[in-house]
Amino acid sequence: MLHTKVVDIKDKKLSIIDAEKFISSSDFGASIFFSGTVRNQNNNKSVTGITYDSHDALVIKSFEEIYNEADQKLKIKDKAVFIEHAKGFLNLGEISIIIAVACKHRDEAYVLSRYIIEEIKKRSPIWKKEHYQNNETDWLKGNPIQYEKN
Amino acid sequence: MKVTIELFGASRDFSNQDSIEINIENNSTIKDVRDKMLDYLHSNFKGNENFIKIVNSSVFCSKDNIISDNYKITNHEKIAIIPPIGGG
Repeated sequence: MLHTKVVDIKDKKLSIIDAEKFISSSDFGASIFFSGTVRNQNNNKSVTGITYDSHDALVIKSFEEIYNEADQKLKIKDKAVFIEHAKGFLNLGEISIIIAVACKHRDEAYVLSRYIIEEIKKRSPIWKKEHYQNNETDWLKGNPIQYEKN
Repeated sequence: MKVTIELFGASRDFSNQDSIEINIENNSTIKDVRDKMLDYLHSNFKGNENFIKIVNSSVFCSKDNIISDNYKITNHEKIAIIPPIGGG
């Protein structure tokens, strides 16, 4: 069971309550909620907010692939997964990503939650532009998508 | 023929629009588009080294598929440049 969405922050904010509603089931004994939030420091600079950019179609496709891989790589068949990522300008403390997972047992839930966020970092086309106190901005460097050019 | 390149992430600094349009020969590939984008950066940003690095380290996609440098582009196809990523 999977829910994925890229949420334009102009329309709504990410909500842990939405995640809880989706994964809640008596089939599962362990739930983990991960949220990423905008922090006030990065690379010794005072950050005032972050603009998130997203290639929505590729992001959703990557979320689905990561979810399906959990079947094969992690052997976690029974699960509920909720993934939402924000796009647009977020102030300090606002939630940029929620990953909520529910599994039968806690070991699976911890492994699955960690797997999803690490894979998203590597594979999902999302970009961050930091805003600083001196009104400057900077796109963070990021990692190239691994793909055969030829 | 014309191709539209949608801009994402750091490549948004290449234009004040969401995309740029470039002219390419028939049967051009992504490799040719990459070269044309470098020409565009030389003409418009005096060969800004950071921008050149972005183009050289990016991949391209059509719809929701990452495409190789050998991919042949059709007339008026819309493709997107995918610079190095880092969300979460």
